Amino acid sequence: MKVLIIEDEKSLSESITTYLKGQDFICEIASDFKTAIEKTELYDYDCILLDITLPGGSGLSILKELRANNKMDGVLIISAKNSIDDKVAGLTLGADDYLPKPFHLSELNARIGAIIRRKQFGGSSIIRFNYISIDTQAKVAAIHNAELLLTRKEYELLLFFISNKRKVISKSAIAEHLWGDEMSGNLDFIYTHIKNLRKKLMEAGEADYIKTVYGMGYKFTD
Amino acid sequence: MKLLAKYNRANILATTIVFMIAGVCYYFIVHLVLIKQLDKDLLVEEQEIRDFIKVHNNLPDAADYKDQQVSFQKMAVVINRKFESVDILKEKDDEYRTMRRLIFPVNIAGVNYKVSVSKSQQEIEDLIQLIVSITLAMVILLLLVLFIINRFVLNKLWLPFNNTLTQLRQFNLLSKKKLELTYTGINEFMELNKAVTEMSSQVLKDYESLKSFTENASHEIQTPLAVINSKLELLMQSENFTEQQMNGVETIHDEIRRLSRLNQSLLLLTKIDNHQFRETEEVDLSKIIVKQLNNYEELIAARQITLTEHISKTPQILMNEILAGVLVTNLITNAIKHNIDHGTLEIVLQENRLSVSNTGNVLSCKPEELFERFKKDTHQTESLGLGLSIVKKICEQYDFVISYTFMDGVHTLSIRFSSNNV
Repeated sequence: MKVLIIEDEKSLSESITTYLKGQDFICEIASDFKTAIEKTELYDYDCILLDITLPGGSGLSILKELRANNKMDGVLIISAKNSIDDKVAGLTLGADDYLPKPFHLSELNARIGAIIRRKQFGGSSIIRFNYISIDTQAKVAAIHNAELLLTRKEYELLLFFISNKRKVISKSAIAEHLWGDEMSGNLDFIYTHIKNLRKKLMEAGEADYIKTVYGMGYKFTD
Repeated sequence: MKLLAKYNRANILATTIVFMIAGVCYYFIVHLVLIKQLDKDLLVEEQEIRDFIKVHNNLPDAADYKDQQVSFQKMAVVINRKFESVDILKEKDDEYRTMRRLIFPVNIAGVNYKVSVSKSQQEIEDLIQLIVSITLAMVILLLLVLFIINRFVLNKLWLPFNNTLTQLRQFNLLSKKKLELTYTGINEFMELNKAVTEMSSQVLKDYESLKSFTENASHEIQTPLAVINSKLELLMQSENFTEQQMNGVETIHDEIRRLSRLNQSLLLLTKIDNHQFRETEEVDLSKIIVKQLNNYEELIAARQITLTEHISKTPQILMNEILAGVLVTNLITNAIKHNIDHGTLEIVLQENRLSVSNTGNVLSCKPEELFERFKKDTHQTESLGLGLSIVKKICEQYDFVISYTFMDGVHTLSIRFSSNNV
């Protein structure tokens, strides 16, 4: 899957590239307006990460151009301007999602995954990890084809883990993914949810995939 | 006091005084002139009497006409010649008449006589009375005219000023609309309008630059934060950390997130302060509450908090939807964060008020400091201390009244909606 990162902050686009590489994405970088326009005109991407403030022009103009040319690449706006105007303008122009900076790479990865699923499979894709399968349209998870009874947050947690499989995810990334910004602070409550999910997976006959990485967070790995 | 009233007061006072002085002067001058005229007539009479005596060597007959009397009196000594004004009682209608009298001595065959010739001064008095009346009438007429001029003409003259004032009152930074003042043709007002227009466009410009500065500052801070955050998350992926290093990375990561949330919260406060959330609509708070409670359902359950909802009415509140969301979310997360395990959380939504109660430890700060920025309970070091400031700021924006009570281990935050938003 091809992802274009339109972002003028080089070290940020490098980080994104490094993180996404491990998740079977091929990343290209455009760090200014002109390069971005050229690349979007020449190639098709599964998902475009779009920064709004770019040297040489606004990211929103690139989005406008794309949609005017009937290109339906998935677009995820990553902007430091957590401004409602930009968000609304972006989404009205046809962006698929909006993620304010700073973001967790795991969150970014999960959002890109969601956009690609929506674009390519009409939302009906099944994500697999060993014997676990997640139907993202029906929002159900199954192990060995037997439905796994999960609460809504447990389902979201599992999907988030599998989207970021074999990566260390920090507790704050998990908390913010599940409950938004407001609940960060003391993150001890996450432990309960992890424990419940782990128990349900193991009862269904799977191995203990959720590894605790001391002091940092968790890692979903086999 | 209105400028007009002040001006009128001075104007009327000055006019009245001038007219009074003029009236008095007029009175004396006219009086003097007329008396002089009368005296001249009396002198003619004197001459006639002297001529008569010279010819006849005898006194003429004393005469008493309506407006002229001549009388003679024998005197032992020679009296001085003089003019005088006297009030004489008239027997006919029993009232005093002012008379002008000339007294002069004559000598007929060695006998001294005092001759007095009197003429009625009444006509003069009448004339002067008339003059005074006319003067008074003129003063009144002038005042009347001034009043009419003030009332109609001056009001019209001040119209451009009032227009400017109205426009200034309606001037709103957020509408970004420049003042459009009409051409008046009057120098003073044109200068005023020019100054006001220049000032308003300067204010608009400054406001815009301040707004973009706030946004840009936030932008500039978020970008390096995003870079640090992403680098740290990559660092986390490497597997050969010692425990101590891991702890360090996690701490840095948490603090970066905190800094970022702090930045966003401050930006939100600034934006609310700048009234940048102006679009209002009818918001159904009960829907937002239910949605947020759903979101935190498992958190509440995990801490075994008993949740009770009393949503009796679903008021439609006229406010910004985003702010309504922030308000409800902050109240609910606040009540969860500061709750105790096995505690309670109660939400009451009525037609005109919303209250959120939760069990919790006694506050370590004064209740009145609860809504201040960066005031936080010492038990909760991770908290930013901005959540309730934001809640309060939103309440202020819509004239909602927020109050806090603590009773039997239960903290209650109540918001009473203002009548014009329900």
